[in-house]
Amino acid sequence: MSARVEDAVKIYGIAATQVRALDHVSVEFPAGRFTAVMGPSGSGKSTLMHCAAGLDTLTAGSAWIGGRDLSTLNDRQLTLLRRASVGFVFQAFNLVPTLTVLENITLPLDLAGRGGREREADREWIDSLVDVVGLGDRLRHRPSELSGGQQQRVAVARALVARPEVVFADEPTGNLDSRSGAEVLGLLRTASQELGRSVVMVTHDPVAAGHADEVLFLADGRLVDTMSAPTAALVLERMKAFDRPPVGSAAR
Amino acid sequence: MRATLHLGLRGLRAHKRRLLGTFLAVVLGVSFLAGTMVLGDTLKSNFGTLFANAYAGTDAVVRGAGSIKADAGPAGVRAPITASLDQRVAVLPGVAAVAPSVSGAGQLVGADGKPIGGKGPPTTAGNWVTDPALNPYHLVQGRAPSAPGEAVINRGAARSGGLKVGDTTVLRAPDPVRVTIVGIAAFGSADGMGPSTFTGLTLADAQRYLLPRAGEVSTLLVKAAPGTSQEQLVRTIDTVLPAQDEAVTGAQAAQEDTTNVSSGFLSVFTTVLLVFAGIALLVATFTIHNTFAIVVAQRTRENALLRALGAARRQILGATLAEAVAVGLTASLAGLLGGIGVATGLKGLFSAIGMDLPTGGMVVTTSAVLVPVLVGTVVAIASALLPAIRAGRTAPVAAMRETAVEAVGGSRIRTVLGAVAGLAAAALTVLGATRGPSVALTAVGSVLALAAMIVLGPAAASLAVRVLGAPLPRLRGVSGALAARNAARNPRRTAATATALMVGVAVVSLFTVFGASIKQSLDDTVNRSFAGDLAISAPSFGAGGSGLSPRIAPAVAALPQVRNVVALGSGVAAVDGHAVKLDVTDPKALTGTVTLGATQGAVAGLGADGIAVSRAVADRYGWTVGQALPVAYADGSHQSLTLDAVYTDAGVVGDYLVTPQTWAPHRTQDSDTLVAVSLKQGVPLAAGRTAVEQAVAGFGGPTVQDRAQFATSAAAGIDMMLSVVYALLALAVLIALMGIANTLTLAMHERTRELGLLRGVGQTRAQLRSMVRWESVLVAVFGTVGGLGLGAFLGWALVRATDSTRTGSFALPVPQLVVVLAVGMLAGALAAVRPARRAARLEVLRAIAAP
Repeated sequence: MSARVEDAVKIYGIAATQVRALDHVSVEFPAGRFTAVMGPSGSGKSTLMHCAAGLDTLTAGSAWIGGRDLSTLNDRQLTLLRRASVGFVFQAFNLVPTLTVLENITLPLDLAGRGGREREADREWIDSLVDVVGLGDRLRHRPSELSGGQQQRVAVARALVARPEVVFADEPTGNLDSRSGAEVLGLLRTASQELGRSVVMVTHDPVAAGHADEVLFLADGRLVDTMSAPTAALVLERMKAFDRPPVGSAAR
Repeated sequence: MRATLHLGLRGLRAHKRRLLGTFLAVVLGVSFLAGTMVLGDTLKSNFGTLFANAYAGTDAVVRGAGSIKADAGPAGVRAPITASLDQRVAVLPGVAAVAPSVSGAGQLVGADGKPIGGKGPPTTAGNWVTDPALNPYHLVQGRAPSAPGEAVINRGAARSGGLKVGDTTVLRAPDPVRVTIVGIAAFGSADGMGPSTFTGLTLADAQRYLLPRAGEVSTLLVKAAPGTSQEQLVRTIDTVLPAQDEAVTGAQAAQEDTTNVSSGFLSVFTTVLLVFAGIALLVATFTIHNTFAIVVAQRTRENALLRALGAARRQILGATLAEAVAVGLTASLAGLLGGIGVATGLKGLFSAIGMDLPTGGMVVTTSAVLVPVLVGTVVAIASALLPAIRAGRTAPVAAMRETAVEAVGGSRIRTVLGAVAGLAAAALTVLGATRGPSVALTAVGSVLALAAMIVLGPAAASLAVRVLGAPLPRLRGVSGALAARNAARNPRRTAATATALMVGVAVVSLFTVFGASIKQSLDDTVNRSFAGDLAISAPSFGAGGSGLSPRIAPAVAALPQVRNVVALGSGVAAVDGHAVKLDVTDPKALTGTVTLGATQGAVAGLGADGIAVSRAVADRYGWTVGQALPVAYADGSHQSLTLDAVYTDAGVVGDYLVTPQTWAPHRTQDSDTLVAVSLKQGVPLAAGRTAVEQAVAGFGGPTVQDRAQFATSAAAGIDMMLSVVYALLALAVLIALMGIANTLTLAMHERTRELGLLRGVGQTRAQLRSMVRWESVLVAVFGTVGGLGLGAFLGWALVRATDSTRTGSFALPVPQLVVVLAVGMLAGALAAVRPARRAARLEVLRAIAAP
């Protein structure tokens, strides 16, 4: 099991202003599976991802990555865990503007101090990653010289370079046109199917969710449904149900 | 107008933290300026009070009419007057009392055998005036001196020397006088006349030890009878005085003394401090300008939105300026308060190096309040002006753009302009240093060089950061690489940040190089011209000390180990209209122990009607050997002396040499400044030294030094001056470092999302702090290296330009400059502590989600 949360509860604020962002959620993100997390605004989908990735802490329950209970780790251990076992793709601002494309891709390895002989061992892997994302001719460029889609592809390569157990993607296609978005989603799919990673993607785009193996639906902090072998149409259909009152309250 | 002000003040509230650095820079600069002015005013007033008190009961002073004030002396030298004049004055109508007064230099030796004072304030001795109305001192313990060898000393001297009534000690007058302390005196309610010391003897003793001839006194103090004004009294007295004497009112005498101090010592003192306050403010200007430039750049979208909503350019400009005015004004007011603290601190600094200043309440004049506040506010406004204009020019469309648009690099025109200015500056400076030499040319070149450095900043910054940052990736891995890239990503900003430090460090290294070169010159001079084995001197500074006993030289000359002894005495005269210090010496003995370099004419053959001068002086006034020079003395007599010789090396002997025979008729208090000793062939140095030390021990314990020690001690004053300069420059460097810290904080704010990303993909807090720290170190090293280069170059140029005789030396004090570099690096790391800690504390999620 690559990543999971058990009986996860996350409460923001106190007393009257209290908001229950996660309400006893338990999910698993197994290796080799591409999971999409969907739900209306305020459903707790981002909170779920942040807590599962160790970027945020749970109020109750537990989050695990690769057999390690995140609540037992301090900031430094969490950082090292992120570096080694978790890959991130954010909606925007994924790349360090002062570093070249190649340097951005190898950043997690560099931060871990993996140079010299270890780097030689990584070389082939990095080359193959570069091939997969198809940016071999752009390695020396700066992020500002790339299109949005290219930037997100670099981000995916960066997320995979440390051979993490799980890759978390937060609206990775949110700022992209549909073609670039499809390329990025294709890469995430490759990551799960061919490289055997667990890929978790938060999205509100039914088309994006359609690329996943499984879709989880959250509403009001609760896991309300799952869908295997989704298609964009099916997902859209399911999502429309949330818009019908009285199910779900968009306020958070 | 209301909207503009409102916007400005809202901006201020919203960005309090960002403008903290600006605020502190103004506060520090203004504190220094206000502190200097307050200290100057306070000292002036303290001295004024001091002299007014000294003459409080004196309505008229009778004194020698002629006064000659050589550069070094604190007050003009006057000839003594005939003691019997008091009889003639006493019988005049309107005169209530007359007291003869003798005053001279006299340094007491404390209970521990060490001389008291001598590091600036005068060490005085005189007669104890028995009429309490005419004596500013009054006994607080014991009694007045009545027998030979009895003395009253002031309470301050008693305290610092550990002396009490009944003790016996030595007064260096400078001929040692054994005195028994019979009383302790106070000056009003104070321990003494400021930090100076006073020893009161009987009139007979004072005349005997402090004046060269019997039957003379320094002045007569006169008290008016009730109903007679000071002016009336003076007019009456004038009728009986011989031509060479004069009478002045007590008020005028006090005023003259005050003016002497304030136009001499005080004006130099405050000018020097003001120069350093100016440097601090200049550095502050760079820091403030940079902060405003960054804040405006960061606020581009906000300003663009305002423009899109219909704000006029003028309103945006006004809002930014309003912010500057508010910051400048509040910071200046805070700086004013700080100034009082700085004044106290400066006083402490000078007393820490032994240069005590008179005490008294703080005097805060209107100008000491208005000028610093005005300067601080104007500096803030002027620094913000360009950024404010830029803010006003913000295009409304910038509101729609993703990122702020800011020119980051130097334009080509700027680089070319800078290069041209730099070359011109170098040419002028070198020309001034080598041809001529011309200080003015070099000074213009120096200012131009500084300007060129500022213009070239961005171009230099991107190059320097690349070169200096090259080893970082290997040393510090990816954090090092990121640090180097960050320092290079906005060369204009890096340059502006580093320039402040560069100016500070340049001045530091300039003084370091200049000081080292002066020391080297002194050292070389001693080595070249001092052919003796031992030097006897009485180290002192300013108006302190009393010199060496004139009986030392004959005593040492009588030793069997000694081949030759020469004593240098001093006097003052007006030579061809120029008031100068004369060195009085036996020319034959002199040439046996001191080498004077290439000489025109023979110094050894100098006669009683002759004078020898240095090459520098002869060249300056166009004098040639054989020429007759008119010489006037303080006692009113004139003489024509023949210029017998011109010599090159003036380091040990000074610029004007006359024989004791020439000086004797005009001399005041006898004392020597230096006695140089050559030992006989075959006498070991240690043995000779022991013999000399024993021989001089009875003369108040002067210092006996070998050549190397003599050379070192000649340069000791330089080190003391340098340490004061460093302390004064510390403030400018501190402001520059705050500028670095401030720029970093602003940059961290700008890069919030990037920092979040780095933390997200696995950068530890320690790695992040290291990244920020190294960026700061890079900027600091760039500034330091630039400053070192500029300072060393200008130091060299100034040393050369001021050396008109080509006898000086240039020294590049590498160890000190390496220390400056190390301090710069360390300071850079220190400046990064707070920004790094704040950046590392960022929460990953919030940072990534930041707007």
